[in-house]
Amino acid sequence: MEPLLEVKNLMTHFFTEAGVVEALDGIDLTVFPKESVGIVGESGCGKTQTAYSILRILAQNGQIIDGEILYKGEDLITLPEAEMRNIRGKEIAMIFQDPMTSLNPVIRIADQMIEVIALHRDVSAIEARELAINALTAVGLSEADKRIDEYPHKFSGGMRQRILIARAIALQPSLLIADEPTTALDVTIQAQVLEIFKDMRDKFDLAMMLITHNLGVVAELTERVHIFYGGRVAEVGSTFDIFTKPMHPYTIALLESIPSLDVDKGRLATIPGSVPQLINPPQGCRFHPRCRYAKEICSKDRPPMEEKVPGRFVACHFWEEVEISDLAEQVLGQKKKDIKKAK
Amino acid sequence: MTAESHKSKILLELRDVRKWFPVKEQGFVGSRQVANIKAVDGVNLVIYRGETLGLVGESGCGKTTTGKVIVKLEVPTTGQILYNGQDIYAFHTKEDEMYFKRNVQMIFQDPYSSLNPRMLVMDIIGEGLDIHEPKMSKLRRDEKVYDLLDKVGLERYHAMRYPHEFSGGQRQRIGIARSLSVNPELVVADEPVSALDVSVQAQILNLMQDLQKQFNLTYIFVAHDLSVIKHVSDRVAVMYLGTIVEYGSNNQVFTETGHPYTVSLMSAIPRPDPRRKMKRIVLPGEPPSPINVPTGCRFHPRCYKSDGEKCIKEDPPMIELEEGHLVKCHYPEM
Repeated sequence: MEPLLEVKNLMTHFFTEAGVVEALDGIDLTVFPKESVGIVGESGCGKTQTAYSILRILAQNGQIIDGEILYKGEDLITLPEAEMRNIRGKEIAMIFQDPMTSLNPVIRIADQMIEVIALHRDVSAIEARELAINALTAVGLSEADKRIDEYPHKFSGGMRQRILIARAIALQPSLLIADEPTTALDVTIQAQVLEIFKDMRDKFDLAMMLITHNLGVVAELTERVHIFYGGRVAEVGSTFDIFTKPMHPYTIALLESIPSLDVDKGRLATIPGSVPQLINPPQGCRFHPRCRYAKEICSKDRPPMEEKVPGRFVACHFWEEVEISDLAEQVLGQKKKDIKKAK
Repeated sequence: MTAESHKSKILLELRDVRKWFPVKEQGFVGSRQVANIKAVDGVNLVIYRGETLGLVGESGCGKTTTGKVIVKLEVPTTGQILYNGQDIYAFHTKEDEMYFKRNVQMIFQDPYSSLNPRMLVMDIIGEGLDIHEPKMSKLRRDEKVYDLLDKVGLERYHAMRYPHEFSGGQRQRIGIARSLSVNPELVVADEPVSALDVSVQAQILNLMQDLQKQFNLTYIFVAHDLSVIKHVSDRVAVMYLGTIVEYGSNNQVFTETGHPYTVSLMSAIPRPDPRRKMKRIVLPGEPPSPINVPTGCRFHPRCYKSDGEKCIKEDPPMIELEEGHLVKCHYPEM
C-alpha cells in the first residue's frame, strides 16, 4: 500500500541568539491511509515541530534544512504557498494542544467554523453553517444549531476540544494531526474525547497522527508508534510490539518509569539526567549519556535506523543486547524468555 | 491498636472544614455577594504520623484548596484543623504559631513560578532558616544549604545560581530542598510532579520517598494522576466537588473500590497495555460548578448507579465498609 504521508530524513533547525537548535535531525515517518499512528516522546523531542514542519507553520526562526515530506506522493516542502493553503485544513487538519487558546475568544463558534469551510469548499454560507452544525452534532454537542452562535468562553475545556475536533473534521480531511489532544483535560473528560476520536476515525476513514507523551492514550488509540528522542526517531513498530517487546533502551526505560495502576512497582526505575538540550546535542546516539547500555561507539557514531525485524525499526547499536529488566517483565506481564524468542 | 495509641499517632485532623469563596457582583453602589464557590465543603480527614496521604480528584474538586487551608495559606470559612491536637487558628502563643509554621511546609505544583527568579538558590533554600533560626551563623546556614542540595541530588555549586538556570526537574528539587530546610514534620505536596516529563517524574517520586524515610516525614500528596497517587500513598482520599467521597488504605481504595466515582475514574484511565481490552465507564457530562452544587449526592447527575430518587434528595452519609474504609454513597460497590 502507498503511504499517505511519508517523511524522509526531515531536518528542521531553529536559529536563535544562543545558537542553532537542531530540533529535528533526520526524522523518518510514515502514515498509511486510515491508519492511526502515535508519536511519543518527552518535551523537546521534536514531536510537535514535526507536525509544524509537515504543515509548514514553523515559527519564523525555524527552517526546514533538508528532507522530503511526501503527501500523496507530492513533496510539501517545495509546494508553492498558495497550494499549501489547499492542503492545510482540507487535506491535513490539525488539532492543537490547548483547547482554551485555540479558539478566538471574540468570534462566535459559527463564524470560526464557517470561515474554514467556506474557504475550502464551494458552498453558500447557509450550507457551510449546515455542515458546521452537522460536525458539531457528530462530536456530541447537544443543541448544536443554537450553541453554534455562542462565544468560546461559554464552553468548558472538554467542549472546546470537541468543537476543535468538529472544525477539523468538517472538511473531511484525509489526515488529522492531533497534538496532545487530551493533555489539558481531566480523566473523565479525556475518556469522553477518546471515544469521540475512535468514533470519528471509523466514521470518516481518517488517518490520524496522534502526538502525545501519554503512553496509555497511545496504547488505546493507535496501531503503530514512533518513539521520538532528542529530535530523532528511536524506534518504530506496531503499538502491540512496542509495548510488549520494546527494543530500544529508551523505550524500555520509559515504560519502566511510569507508575502503574495495575502493578505494584515498588521503586520506580529512572532514567538518569534529563532530556538533552538540542543546541549542543550529544554526539553519536543522542540517548547515550543516559543509556545503561552505552559503549564507546555510542558517543561517536549515530546508530542507523534499520529494520531489524520485519516491521520493526530501531536506531540502536546494541539493540540485541538490550535486556528487559524484571520490572518491565512485571509491567508487561510477560516472561523474559518469550520476549527474547520474539527477537 | 488501642484507641489511645491510635490517637497519639494522629498528626493532623480536619474537622468539617469548609472554604467558600464569595462571588461578588458589581452593583450600582459597591458590590454585593451573590453566591458562594464551595471549593471545600465539609472535609473530615485524619493524617497519621509518618504516612503518605494521597488526595486525588479532578480539577476544581477542591484538593489544592484543602492543601492550602492545611498550611494556612487560606483561612477556612468554618471548621477546625487540629495539629498535634491544637487548633491551628487558635494558637495561644507566638511560639506555638512559629512551631506550626516551621513544621508544616509545602511543595508547589509549578516549579517555574514557585521560585523567586531574583534570588540565588542559596537564599531560596536558606530563607526558612533565616526566619526560624535567626541565631544560626552564616557559616552553619550555608553548610546546611549545601547539605540539603546534596540530599536532593544537586551539586554545591548550584547554590550560587539563579532558578532560570535549571530544568523543571532540578527546580522541583530546589523546591523540595527549601521545604526541608527547617526539618518539618508534615509536607503538603501540591501536584509536585505534574509539570514534569515522565522520565523526570520517576526521579522526583523516588527522591520524595527516600527523603520521607531519612527525615521521618509525613506527606499529604495532592495529585490528579491516580497512578501516581497509587504509587506513593499509604492511604487515599478521593475528592469530588468539595467533599471526600471515598477514603481508605491504598489497597481498600484501589482494589476494593467502593464509590462509583472512584470506579469510573479508574476505568477512565487509558492503560499503557494494548492487550488490555477494558470495559470503560464513560461518565456523562462534566463536574458541575461548585457554585451550584447538586442536591442530595453531589455525584448523582453523572452516576451510573443513581436511583433517581434517594440519590437526588438525600446527601449520603459516610459509611464504613470496612475498618478505615469510608464511602459516601447510598449504593456502594461491595
